[in-house]
Amino acid sequence: MGKTTYKRVKGSQNLRQRLLLSTLASTAVIVEDIRSDHTWPGLRPHEVSLLRLLEKVCDDCVVEINETGTKLKYKPGIIMGGKHLVHDCGVSRSIGYFLEPLIVLGLFAKKPFSIRLKGITNDSKDPCVDTFRSTTLPLLKRFGVPAEGLQLKIESRGVPPHGGGEIVLSVPSVQSLAAVTWIDEGMVKRIRGVTFSTRVSAQFENTMIHAARGIFNRLLPDVHIFTDHRAGPHAGKSPGYGISLVAETTSGCCISCDTTISYGLKEGNEIEGEEKKELTPPEDVGEQTASVLLSEIEQGGVVDSTHQGLLFLLCALCPQDVSKVRVGKLSPYGIETLRNIRDFLGVKFVIKPDPSTETVILKCVGCGMKNLSRKVS
Amino acid sequence: LERAVSRQHTNLMQVVYGKSTSASTPVSQTQENSEGEESEGDDFFTPKQEGKMKSREGPDDGDLDAEDSSKFTKYGTIKSWKEGEVIESIRDRFVTGDWSKAASRNQ
Repeated sequence: MGKTTYKRVKGSQNLRQRLLLSTLASTAVIVEDIRSDHTWPGLRPHEVSLLRLLEKVCDDCVVEINETGTKLKYKPGIIMGGKHLVHDCGVSRSIGYFLEPLIVLGLFAKKPFSIRLKGITNDSKDPCVDTFRSTTLPLLKRFGVPAEGLQLKIESRGVPPHGGGEIVLSVPSVQSLAAVTWIDEGMVKRIRGVTFSTRVSAQFENTMIHAARGIFNRLLPDVHIFTDHRAGPHAGKSPGYGISLVAETTSGCCISCDTTISYGLKEGNEIEGEEKKELTPPEDVGEQTASVLLSEIEQGGVVDSTHQGLLFLLCALCPQDVSKVRVGKLSPYGIETLRNIRDFLGVKFVIKPDPSTETVILKCVGCGMKNLSRKVS
Repeated sequence: LERAVSRQHTNLMQVVYGKSTSASTPVSQTQENSEGEESEGDDFFTPKQEGKMKSREGPDDGDLDAEDSSKFTKYGTIKSWKEGEVIESIRDRFVTGDWSKAASRNQ
């Protein structure tokens, strides 16, 4: 091989997105100063796991990490995809952490893609698998991703600290996405949701639902929240419970939020065994999550704050057509995404506030991403 | 950075992409690097401060090692959605509210 031109970035921030964009744009990347000032320098287990996952999904990609893990060299290969892949995500971050880059990657794979992921299905740091099912996958359909072949099955659940959950994700491969004009957020016509409980009483779920309904009932009669109590091997290795809510609007937008309550992850070298913190009671969980959902609805915008990043990314990956979307206030992650998109894809958005509704309208011309490796049938 | 970013009069383009509108000052300049490791040696001797300084010209230069999570959790104080007045304030975002008002939002 001849010379490779590397793009240089610093720090572990947005590592997932940088690796994803690097792969899609076929730009080799060097990440430096990864937690170089920390007492525990270098890559974390979940970041290493993500790199291993990329190696699994792609052919011919090269990952080099220096001894301390503070410097990473990544040369992307061809996204192969394929069926029946398996990856253990570990327990330092939840499956949601891996799903976010993976669903976009899968779209541009050579073959339709299905993978079994093991680890934590629900935690409070990343969007949980229920939210992926209810909100993230429909979001992809907006961009012309076919519904068949796009699914996520939850085989067993697992919460921090020990995980034990398993899901199967399938993503079809597409030739290219379709640009969207998506500025009508519509009115909320129904609220759906699902609660789960693992290794605790199923009664926790009814309490959460009752509390959440109490908040919604004055606004909307059409509220239906399902329960998903898991026991035995399907309940993973740790006790926990949580709720994922989604508001569907008349124009087909999904606004979501979720919470998981469990004995959290131990951070790094923290001492184990101190008296376990009291967990938030299910009643408060239901009420708080419902309130957060209403705050998201109040924001306006066609997606919630959590999905802004993905929305911008998909817009930027469209063919060279104009996409126009409306969001509520820009989230910090959304802003970072916009910057990464500019750095890797060279797509700059035109961002205009809409004062009358306090929302933001973004416009961009896609980078013309095409899936060249996909076989035309 | 708080999400107060979208106040009407702030220039959002500037907030997101930094001051220079010339678009020609990417944060991370692409550099030629032949596969070898010679750059490793160079880096060893660059003073640390320098690296920090040019990290990003954006106004909200965050932590380089900020947590990588898309989930938005900084809601601040959440309104008490049990009170009648607060509920009425978003009534029109629901199908039970005033449809004409909602329609005018999307003009």
